[in-house]
Amino acid sequence: MSCERIQDRFADYLTGDLDEGARREVRDHISSCAPCRAEIENLTAIWAKLGVLPQEQPSGDLRHRFYSMLEGYKSEVKSAGKTSARARILSGWKEWFTFRRPAFAAAFSTFLLLLGIGTGWLVSGSGGKSARLSSLQKEVQDMRQTVALSLLSRPSASERLQGVSYSTALRNPSAKTLTALVNTLNTDPNPNVRLAAVEALYLFRNQPGVMDSLTSSLAIQSSPLVQVTLIDLLVEIREGRAAEALKALIKNEKLHPEVKKLAEQGIKQLI
Amino acid sequence: MNGENSEQEKTGRMSPTDNELMEQVRDGKVEKLAILFERYQTMLYNFFVRLTGNRAASEDLVQEVFIRILKYRAGYQGESRFNVWMFQIARNAHIDFLRKKKGELALDDQFTEEPGREPLPAERYEAGQEAALVRMALDKLPVKKRELLVLFRFQDLKLREIAELLDCQVGTIKVQVHRALKDLSRIYLELQGGKAS
Repeated sequence: MSCERIQDRFADYLTGDLDEGARREVRDHISSCAPCRAEIENLTAIWAKLGVLPQEQPSGDLRHRFYSMLEGYKSEVKSAGKTSARARILSGWKEWFTFRRPAFAAAFSTFLLLLGIGTGWLVSGSGGKSARLSSLQKEVQDMRQTVALSLLSRPSASERLQGVSYSTALRNPSAKTLTALVNTLNTDPNPNVRLAAVEALYLFRNQPGVMDSLTSSLAIQSSPLVQVTLIDLLVEIREGRAAEALKALIKNEKLHPEVKKLAEQGIKQLI
Repeated sequence: MNGENSEQEKTGRMSPTDNELMEQVRDGKVEKLAILFERYQTMLYNFFVRLTGNRAASEDLVQEVFIRILKYRAGYQGESRFNVWMFQIARNAHIDFLRKKKGELALDDQFTEEPGREPLPAERYEAGQEAALVRMALDKLPVKKRELLVLFRFQDLKLREIAELLDCQVGTIKVQVHRALKDLSRIYLELQGGKAS
């Protein structure tokens, strides 16, 4: 067999994809052809050397970014679905209101006029409009709290992430929601969910007890990513009590050296 | 299509194959992409690190690949293995990255030009060692050849899949792999000689 045909098989030879017959042909050829033998020895050596390149690990930040992107995409798809449903309903109504017959138009105008007069009379006669509006707003807020709480207790991490992001839309989170967020921050098995909880609690930092919870969580967290985010945040809002927590943290021998460095810098900024 | 998935089936009969997951993503269950992300983030990251030598850019590129998978999910046919389709997207993301980086420079020029890269922290410790030399040699290859070798050596792709990915005949790929390995071996030996002297 010619050298050229044998060399065509080198790639398969390296990956072990040749059948026994073809392997034998290659071996027979190189036993009698010195240039091809040298060539395949060369290739096998560099092929093996490529194997010494270590496998690198991406940072946890990549995972965090991916899950945030996925959550964003899901809610975008959901709201686009709602908008198109709304658009369909509206266009249906538009067709309804396209007056082709004058009699219908006249009847409808009269109806609108009567409706206007009736509404005016009702509104002027009742002082409870703003009360009704605020009770409606409260109902929406309560519903959001319930949804957030239920999502936070789900087994799937992406649903819990959604729960955290739902809670951030609350204007006045209840004590129960705040406790659930603090629990998530301290006990959730997924670091990305814990990270999202840090960010949500940061938004509610003015609520009673939240700053204490964030400060004391430093001692509980084991993921460097969550630790770094917490330190950044506590230093940024110049939480005075955080200095003590940071001092306690750097005594931990298992602490990642980068986190330790950041904590030391933080202490200097806080004192 | 099931025949294409024998590789994934090794992971266990109960776990869905990549193709099945991607079909679910295509049909609206986008949360299933998380499983594909967990399966492939490290492989893709290493693909980009070996191509660009830049860790931060490699993470951006992995993210970009998954954004594009969502964007183009409706066009997924499931005719070939999922990772062939995914690497097609990864290659395009890399080409766009090079374009953005080099601005006006023609793409062909970039493929023949020696790439500049930031040294990876690990290399400081590897200096003088075999892995550092191999990496240096790989970096000295033109992008096209480097990409081919990285796909062939590390990405668990068959020659016919690489041929499909690069839109070439299998025979052409075999010749190109052979040449790229020969070049790499030559560069490696030159570097080794340089180090020794």
